[in-house]
Amino acid sequence: MEALAAAIAVGLAALGASLGNGMIVSRTVDGIARQPELRGALQTTMLIGIALVEAIPIFAVVIAFMVM
Amino acid sequence: MVDMEQQDLKKYDRMVIRQRKWMLYTLSIMVIGAGFTPYPRIFLGLLIGTALSFYNLWLLQRKIKKLGQAIIEDRRMLGIGSLTRFASAALAVVVGLRFEEYVDIIAIIIGLMTFYIVIIIDFALFNTKD
Repeated sequence: MEALAAAIAVGLAALGASLGNGMIVSRTVDGIARQPELRGALQTTMLIGIALVEAIPIFAVVIAFMVM
Repeated sequence: MVDMEQQDLKKYDRMVIRQRKWMLYTLSIMVIGAGFTPYPRIFLGLLIGTALSFYNLWLLQRKIKKLGQAIIEDRRMLGIGSLTRFASAALAVVVGLRFEEYVDIIAIIIGLMTFYIVIIIDFALFNTKD
């Protein structure tokens, strides 16, 4: 049962993170392709965005390993 | 236009260096805490968590820079290293569970979150200044 709980926790968190990361990366790619001179600013925003999106799945991985 | 691009890119590079510097400061504080305070178990946990957090930050910065370069040069890029970052968090927890008598698991988790605090404070302080 613990393994199932861990799998559900990590799976759902990874699903959310992948959707969020996909949105962030696609918009950044779009932005840099349109305006290469804004690359630094867009990369900075992307760094913050990805870090915030990935915080929750990392917590989920930690909790899943502690549950198992 | 090229000059503006270079200037903007330098801003990102400056931010990267600043964030790494703050992570190194934090790591040095953890080392001092582990060596000289009566709570080595807590500080060792924080040290392991922060070290892996620093690895996560370094990987994220590197991958994002590579992604920007790949878009400019019209190349393909496979992934941005999410799985590696999850795996490093898992490694921290496994180390914490394996050596429970030497390190505190809650301290490891707090240590893993260091780089979020560093980048958010850095963004809040320097975004308007740069």
